[in-house]
Amino acid sequence: MQSNDSFLALSAALTGFSTLDLLGTGMAQEYQRTLDATLPPGIYRELLETWASAGGGEAATDQIMGDPKLGPVARNLIQLWYCGTWSAMPDDWRSAYGTTPLDMSRVVSPEAFQAGLQWAVAGAHAPASGQQGFAAWALPPEGSS
Amino acid sequence: MVFFPRDKMTRTSAEQVGEEIYDVVIVGGGVAGAIIAKQLSAAHKRVLVVESGMGKDVDLAGYESYVSRFYGTAMKDNQSPYPINRNSPMPRSTDARKITPGLPATDAYIVQNGPFGSDTTYTRVLGGTTMHWEAKTPRMVPDDFSMRNTFGVGENWPISYDEIEPDYREAEREMGVSADVEDQRYLGISFPDDYVYPMRKMPLSYLDQQVDQGIRGTSVQLGGQQFDLEVRSFPQARNGIPNPLYNGGKGYRPLGAVSTSQVEAGERCQGNNNCVPICPVQAKYYAGKTMAQALLGGDVKVLTQAVASRVVLDADGRVSHIEIKQYHDPILPDHTTATVRGRVFVLAANAIENPRLMLASGLAGSSGLMGRNLMDHAYLLCWGLMPQVCGTMRGTNCTGGIVALRNGSFRSQQAAFGIDIHNDGWGWSEGSPASDLLRLVDGQNKFGRSLRRELADSITRQLLLAFMIEVLPDPNNRVSVDPAYKDQLGNMRPVVTYNIPEYTMRGAAYARRFAQLVFQRLGVADYTHYDPGDYGYVTYEGAGYAIRGGNHLAGTHIMGSSPSTSVVDPDQRSWDHANLFLVGGGSMPSIGTANVTLTIAALCFRTARAIIADLA
Repeated sequence: MQSNDSFLALSAALTGFSTLDLLGTGMAQEYQRTLDATLPPGIYRELLETWASAGGGEAATDQIMGDPKLGPVARNLIQLWYCGTWSAMPDDWRSAYGTTPLDMSRVVSPEAFQAGLQWAVAGAHAPASGQQGFAAWALPPEGSS
Repeated sequence: MVFFPRDKMTRTSAEQVGEEIYDVVIVGGGVAGAIIAKQLSAAHKRVLVVESGMGKDVDLAGYESYVSRFYGTAMKDNQSPYPINRNSPMPRSTDARKITPGLPATDAYIVQNGPFGSDTTYTRVLGGTTMHWEAKTPRMVPDDFSMRNTFGVGENWPISYDEIEPDYREAEREMGVSADVEDQRYLGISFPDDYVYPMRKMPLSYLDQQVDQGIRGTSVQLGGQQFDLEVRSFPQARNGIPNPLYNGGKGYRPLGAVSTSQVEAGERCQGNNNCVPICPVQAKYYAGKTMAQALLGGDVKVLTQAVASRVVLDADGRVSHIEIKQYHDPILPDHTTATVRGRVFVLAANAIENPRLMLASGLAGSSGLMGRNLMDHAYLLCWGLMPQVCGTMRGTNCTGGIVALRNGSFRSQQAAFGIDIHNDGWGWSEGSPASDLLRLVDGQNKFGRSLRRELADSITRQLLLAFMIEVLPDPNNRVSVDPAYKDQLGNMRPVVTYNIPEYTMRGAAYARRFAQLVFQRLGVADYTHYDPGDYGYVTYEGAGYAIRGGNHLAGTHIMGSSPSTSVVDPDQRSWDHANLFLVGGGSMPSIGTANVTLTIAALCFRTARAIIADLA
C-alpha cells in the first residue's frame, strides 16, 4: 500500500476536489485498497511514483492521463470517486498489462455509492442518501441567478 | 408507525391452510389485494392472502435490506432493491430486447412476441409494485370513462366519473395523498365543494418553477381548441403536511413506517429523489401500510412464498379452490403443492399475472377477451439543457408537469398525454449523472477542476420531459400462455404480444413537436435523440421514436356492461364465475393519462363492498 498523502494528492488533481473534501467522504482508504487489490501487482505503486516523479502538478496529471498504461487507471480512479463504481479495465489494456479476479464492473460498496462526488458537484445528494429535507427542492440552488 | 403483527404471517404451513375454508381467498399482496383485505378485515371476514414473494419487507430490517441492496447494485433499475427469486420471477427493464419478427425473446420471465419490445416491469414481493412506484396519484378525467361515446374511439366504462368519485376519495385517504384541490380541478375533474386532500400539495421544485415561468402565456391550438400552458403540481401518495381542514376539520394523521418494533420513521418526505425504486424512509405510501392494518384488526392471514398455479372450478362454474405451490427457498425449485379454499376468490396479481393464471388454468372465458386489450402507457422522453442552473437532482422524482393536453376533442384522432418534469434530470433517458461523467472523462479527456466545473454545469441544467401517452385497447395486444415456456415451478410464463397503436404514435409525434415548442420558449438546448438500435424504437411517418414502457399495466380483463364484450362487471366480478373477482388494472377499459394505481385502489373499495354484500 502506498502512502495516503500521495494517493489523496493525485485524487485531488484528478477530481478537482480538495484533499480535505476527499477525506471528508470517508472513502479514501477503501479506494486505496480497491486500487491495490484490483489492479495487477505493481501498477498502483507505479501510478503514484510516476505522478510524483513528474512533479505532481498539472503537467504530471496530464502525463498520467495520456499514458497508455496509467491513463485508463486514472480514469477509473476518477469514476471511483465520482460514482463509487469500478469499471472493468478495457480488454486491450488487460491483454497488455494483465488482470485480477476483482477487475469487474461493480459498485464498490453501499457507502461508496452514497459518497459519490457526482451528486455533490451538482449541489444535490445521492438518491436515498444525504437528503436535504422537506421542500428544500423548491429553493433556488447554488449558482442560480 | 404501523405495527406489523408478525404472527399473522404463515410461512410454513400450507398443509394447515389447506384444511380451512376462508370467506375470501385473495391472490396477491399488492395494493389491490391489501385494500380488499383491509376492508374485509373491518367487516370481520376470514381472509387468506396468498403472496408469491418472500414477505421479507414486513419489518424495518427487511425493508432496510432492500435499501442497502439498492445502494450496492450497479444497475439501479426498478427491481434493483429486490432479491432474485426464481420461483416468483419478475420482469426487469434490463431484460428488454429489440424483437425480430417471428423470433420471440424467451430468455427473460416475460416471453415477448413483439413486434414492440417492452421494458415494462412489476414487482412480485409483498407490497407489489407499490414498492417501486413513483406514487403519483392523478385522477382520470371524466371523458376517460366514456371514450367511445365522446370521441368514437376506445371503449366506454360501465361506470362514470361521478360514480367512482367517492371511491377516489377513499383511495386518497387510504394512500395519504398530498395535493391541493384548487390545482387538481381541471378538464372536468370535480370534487365535492368542501373536499380537501389529506395533506397539502408537495411544493413544486425550483426546476418546475423555472419551466412554469418560461411557458406561462404560451398556448397551443389542437383540434380547433386552444390549450394554455402552465406547470401544475401532481397529487402524490407521500407524506407531506397534513391539511387541518381534512375530514370536516378533524385533520389527517399520516401513516409512518411499517415495522414489527417501535421506530420513528416514515414521516414527512425528505426529498430523497429515490421514490423509484424505493423510498428509503417509507414516507412514500406502499401497500404494506394497508396490509399491516388489515392484519391488525380482523381475521386476515398471509401465506407467503406461495405461488397460485391453478384456478379450479366446480360443476356449476364457480371456483372451488386454487392450487398453490409453496416453495422453500427463492432459488431452489423444491416446493409443496397445496389447495386453498374459500367462498369467494379474488385475483389481485396485476394485469399480466391475473390473465396468465386464468389462461394457465384453461379459463379463457366466454367472451374470449381474457388477456386481450393489454395497455401500458407509452412514454416518450425529450431532454435538453436549460440556459441557467435549475438545481436538478433534488426533490422527489417528480413534483410537477404540464397536464393541459390530457383531454380535448383531438382525442378522436390522436392520443392525449400528460407531461412529467423529471427532477432527476436525464437519469431515465441517459443514465445521468454517471453518463455525463463518462462522456467528459472518456470522451473529452476532462479531469480536475475543469471536469468538476463542466460536470456541475451539465447536471444542474438538465431538463427531461416525460410524455405519458394514452394507449387504446386493442384485442391484438395481449397476454397469453404457451406450455413451451414455464418457470422453474412449472407455472406457465406470460407471453406478451404488443404493438404501439397508430393512435398513440400520432400522439407521440405531436409530443415531440410539442417538446420542441416548449424548449424554444425556455431557451433549452435540445439533446433528444432516438437510436434506431433501441429496443423500443418505433417509426411513424418517416421519423423514429424510442418508446418506453410505463409499468401502468391495464386492460387484460376489461370491465363492461355485457358478458359478451367484457370479462368482469362493474364490481370486477367475473361474468363467467360468480364467486370470482379479477381486480386491478386489468379491469380498466381505458387508461387515459393517469397513473393507474389510484383508479385501481378506488375500484377495489367498490369491489370490497360487493364481496361483503355477497357474504352477508
